[in-house]
This record gives sequence, structure tokens and C-alpha cells, in this order.
Amino acid sequence: MDFLESVRMATTTLVANKMRSSLTMLGIIIGNASVIAMIGIGEGAQKLVSDQVNSLGPNVLFIIPGSPEAQRRPLYPKQTLVLADAEAIAGQVPSVKEVAPSLNGSEVVAYQNKNITGTIIGTTPEFLTVRNFDVAKGRFVNQLDVKRQEDVAAIGSEVAIQLFGSNDPIGQRIRVKNLTLEVIGVMQPKGATFGDNQDMNIFVPITTMAKRLVGRSSPYGLPVTFISVSVKDQDSMKAAQFQIENLLRLRHKIKGEDDFTVRNQQDLMNILGSITGALTLLLAATAAISLIVGGIGIMNIMLVSVTERTKEIGLRKAIGASPQDILIQFIIEAIILSAAGGLIGTGLGISGVVLVGIFSPLKTGIPLGAIAIALGVSGGIGLFFGVVPARQAAKLDPIEALRSA
Amino acid sequence: MTATNNSATLSSTSLHENNQVIVRLENINKYYGMGDIQVQALNHVNLTIHAGEYCSIMGASGSGKSTCMNIIGCLDRPTAGKYYLDGCNVAEISENELAKIRNAKLGFVFQQFHLLPQLTALDNVILPMVYAGIPNSERKERAKEALNQVGLGNRMNNRPNQLSGGQQQRVAIARAIVNKPVVLLADEPTGALDSKTTQEVLEIFTNLNKTGITVIMVTHEPDVAKQTERIVWFRDGEVIHSHLKPADLHQAI
Repeated sequence: MDFLESVRMATTTLVANKMRSSLTMLGIIIGNASVIAMIGIGEGAQKLVSDQVNSLGPNVLFIIPGSPEAQRRPLYPKQTLVLADAEAIAGQVPSVKEVAPSLNGSEVVAYQNKNITGTIIGTTPEFLTVRNFDVAKGRFVNQLDVKRQEDVAAIGSEVAIQLFGSNDPIGQRIRVKNLTLEVIGVMQPKGATFGDNQDMNIFVPITTMAKRLVGRSSPYGLPVTFISVSVKDQDSMKAAQFQIENLLRLRHKIKGEDDFTVRNQQDLMNILGSITGALTLLLAATAAISLIVGGIGIMNIMLVSVTERTKEIGLRKAIGASPQDILIQFIIEAIILSAAGGLIGTGLGISGVVLVGIFSPLKTGIPLGAIAIALGVSGGIGLFFGVVPARQAAKLDPIEALRSA
Repeated sequence: MTATNNSATLSSTSLHENNQVIVRLENINKYYGMGDIQVQALNHVNLTIHAGEYCSIMGASGSGKSTCMNIIGCLDRPTAGKYYLDGCNVAEISENELAKIRNAKLGFVFQQFHLLPQLTALDNVILPMVYAGIPNSERKERAKEALNQVGLGNRMNNRPNQLSGGQQQRVAIARAIVNKPVVLLADEPTGALDSKTTQEVLEIFTNLNKTGITVIMVTHEPDVAKQTERIVWFRDGEVIHSHLKPADLHQAI
């Protein structure tokens, strides 16, 4: 019996037993749908992360206090990174475009009888361009504010809504700790980056933050939480990093381990990427397990099917089907079941991915590579798990089979 | 083609002796099991059937008649001995070749019909031709021809569950003859049918035999055996009577 005949015969048999065929496919459908959905969602998370990293601003370097080793330990690093370092970098590193140091703290901010907890970011005017922020109304912190330690603040869009409702916040006074600040501007909405809601930030001059709000000082100068640096172009990134590291080592008189860490977006991307990558792997592994379970399901149902169809198999042998004919027929049935299940499951998986993309911030895309692999695996599973029942069927003794009437 | 007027008193074997030997079992032994629990199902069985004969095989339960039938039908192999089907020694050929022989030279009819429930009558009859590799264009015509021959030309597109027992058995017979076999084997073909339908089906066998097909039927019913031309009687794995005439049946029982 030629191949096309076998396929036709297998299809007829499967269609004639719709209930049994559907139940057999169920495992593969669910397994496939999960694999596609999980990988699609995982990739969506990774894309979200990389988009957010890119939204930090192009060609940005971050300098944070504490050695690279210290980053892994939750210790409070020595306050050796100071405002003067930022000024030095701005002045002495040629490939650097702009420098924006920032000193952060979390405080309760109040207006009349309302209050919220926000992140106070003490910084300089360069922050806008280095970090890609924009003012919607009013103005940002300027050079004079920094010089004079003015008590002014530019508030995030969310802060404006929560404290002022629909009223104009410009010119109003908010209270932070023991300080009263005049609102000079409202920021454009930016959304959440890495879990931090950027619209709950309140920007003040860094000098105000250091001397009056945080009251922190260090024997080395005005301490900063981190320094953001924008580099002239993509190609100068490595050179800039090299130059900054050398400059700081000189300034801090470092002999052994660095007391600072320079991170670029790529580093950030890698760190976050490895986290989301691990997440995707975990999800995909779980889904793969369910795919295997689906395959086992196929095998079990086909074994049952062989038992149920003993008479049919015996009859086919009696009228001239060779053991090979029977073997091929059952294997093709198993492959059709898993391929069909694979296609349906892939369809469901893709729908799931698209739905998640619509209803969540994840930027999901259709994972073509995963689809090809999943379909191939489904077909392979059909082949693999169909072989045992098929061989059983082929070895059936026709006399016994027919006698079981 | 044999000209016979179907009288039971004619010694029909003499009519066929000039034809070739279709089935020859030589010294067939069949054992089941091993060692202490070995059962001998057939003991030095010798049997010759000529082309065109209309044979029935009778015997008590466990007499070996079914085992013999299975060996003749190439569904089973003898433990020892030779079996020539249409001149070819089939006792030692491979599984795949046996399947081809079953497909081309033999036709089976079973007590339980064994039609495939998901196929129509026509498709059921077509099935052996699929395994024979007959081209698609010929299949429908030949199947229709076979169904007409058994009187079911108007039921071709019915499924088995839409047919009566007698009709299903007719479809089974059509299926058995569609590849133009040399031997038609029937295992208690009327066992599941009422007496009227039994008679109708037996007539079909008789008519088929008249066209030259050798018919070998296993039965335990004397009324059925009486309508064949020659009875082979088994007891305890041996052939007790090899050419019993239907008229003399009462002697053997």
C-alpha cells in the first residue's frame, strides 16, 4: 500500500472516531499552546526590558559608588563618589557630552492636607537631556537654582494629580520634611521603568537635596547616589568608560580595588536580560514538560485504541495487510494526531500571545522560531510515542484477534 | 468450470480430480506450548483439495478443524510439514509474502462478518484492492461488480450498522471475492444468521463455487455441511474421513 493511501486510510479512521481523536490530541494541543505562549510572553518581557533600557537615553553611562564586587552585596558603600567628581568628568573627559549627578531619597511630600511618598531626586539641569525627561509645564531645575540651593521642585505628573487634582501646581508650595519647596514645573508622563514609577519623582536642585534635605555630607565632598553621563556617540562609549575610570582612580587615589562602578546600558541590558532569560527558560521548560505529558497521552490512548481495534487489525491482516502496512498505518495516525494537535495548539498559543500583548505592557511578538520547533517536536512526539502502540498492532496474531469476537 | 446438477448423491470428488491441486497439506503437525504443557493440535494431517471443490470441514470442539483452517488460510504456520497452496510451498515464506498471498489467492468470510464500521459497503469491498495496489480507477467498478454478484447492488453506500446480518455477510462475501481468489474460506459463515438468511447465504456460496472458486467451509452444523459436496471430518487433530459424502453424514455423527 503506497504512502498516500496510508495517509488517506489513517485520516478516514481518525475522522470516524472524532471523540477519541479529539481527546488524544488534547494533551498535545495544551502542550503546544503553552510552549508558544510562554516563549512569546517571555520574549515580550525581554523586549519590554530592552525598550526600557533604551529609553534611559542613548549612549548613557552610569557611575555608581562601590566596587563592582560590592554591587552584589547589600552593603552601604563608602560615600566616595561626590559632586566634584561629576564636575571633573564634565570638564576633563572629551568624549563626554553631558553629566548629570543625582542624589536620591524617599520622602513624604505634603500639600495642604494631602500627602504622598515620592522619590526626591536632587540633580542638575543636564538631567533632562542625559536621561531623556521632558517638562510639560513650567520649567526644570536650572543652573542658578543649583548654585543658590534654591527651595524649588519640578514634580512628576502623578504627583501633580495626586496632590493638586486638576488645579495648577505651579507656584504652590509643598512640604518635604522640614522644608517648603515652591513648585516650578510639572514633568511629562513617562511611565514605569524597571518597576519604579517615574511619574512619582520630585526633582530638586542637588545642592538643596544634599545640604538641606538629606543632610548627608562626606569628608570627600557632596555625596551623590549616582552619576549619569551621556557620551558623544556610540563609538566613543568604550573610550569614555576608559577615560572616566582612569580619571576617578586618579582623583580617588585608588591603589587596589576601585571604589566605583561604571555601567553602560549594555551591562544593564545583560543583567536584566539574564533575569528575563532565566524566566523564559523556566516557563518554556514547564511547557515542554506538558508537551511530553501530551505525548504520553497519545501513546496511552493509542495503546487503548489498538486493543479496541483488535478485530479490525486481525481483519486487515486476513485480507492481506502485512505487518508493515499495519505499522505504517498506526504510526501515520499518531503523526497526524500530533501534527493536527500541534497546529491547533500553535494557533491557540499565538492567540494567547497576541491577547497578552494587547492587554498588558509586555511587548509580545509571534515567536516564529519557537513555532517551528514546537511543530517539529509535536510531529516527533507523534512518531516517538506512536511507535510502541504501532508495533503492538503490527505483531497482533490475526487468529486471536478475530477470535475475540 | 464444472457442470454439476448439485445432487448430493453424486460423488463430486471424481468431477474435480482432473483439476489441479489447489490445497495440499503434507504431514502437517501443529503444536502449541512447550515442554510439559505441549498440546498437539494437528497430528500428521494429509489433505488434498482440488480446484473447484466445495468442501466443508467438520469436527468437535478442539478437534483441530479451526487450526487446520487457519493453516490453509495462511493465518498460522504449521510446526512441521509442507503446505502447497496453488503449487507454492507457503510454510516457509516470510510474513510479508504470506500477506500478499492472503490478499491475492484467498478470500475470508467470518462468522462475525468483521466489516469496518466506519466504511460504507462499497469501501469495505474496496479494501482488499487497496492492499493489492490495484489502481484507483479500477476499484469502484470491480467492487460494484462483486456487490452485484451477491445481490447487494442497491446497498453500496450503506454503513454496516444500516444493514441486516444477512446483508453484512453478503458484503463480507463480496469483499472476499473482489480480488478473484482461488480459494474462498468460510469460518462458520452462517453461525450468526437465522435459518432463512442462512439458506440465502449458502446459495451464494454454491453459485460462487459454480463459477470455479474452490470453497472450504468450517461448520459444526450438519444442515449446512449437507449442502456442500465433500465433508472432511476431524477428530483429535487427525483427519478421520477425508471424502465423506453429505448423504453419509449421519453415519459419522
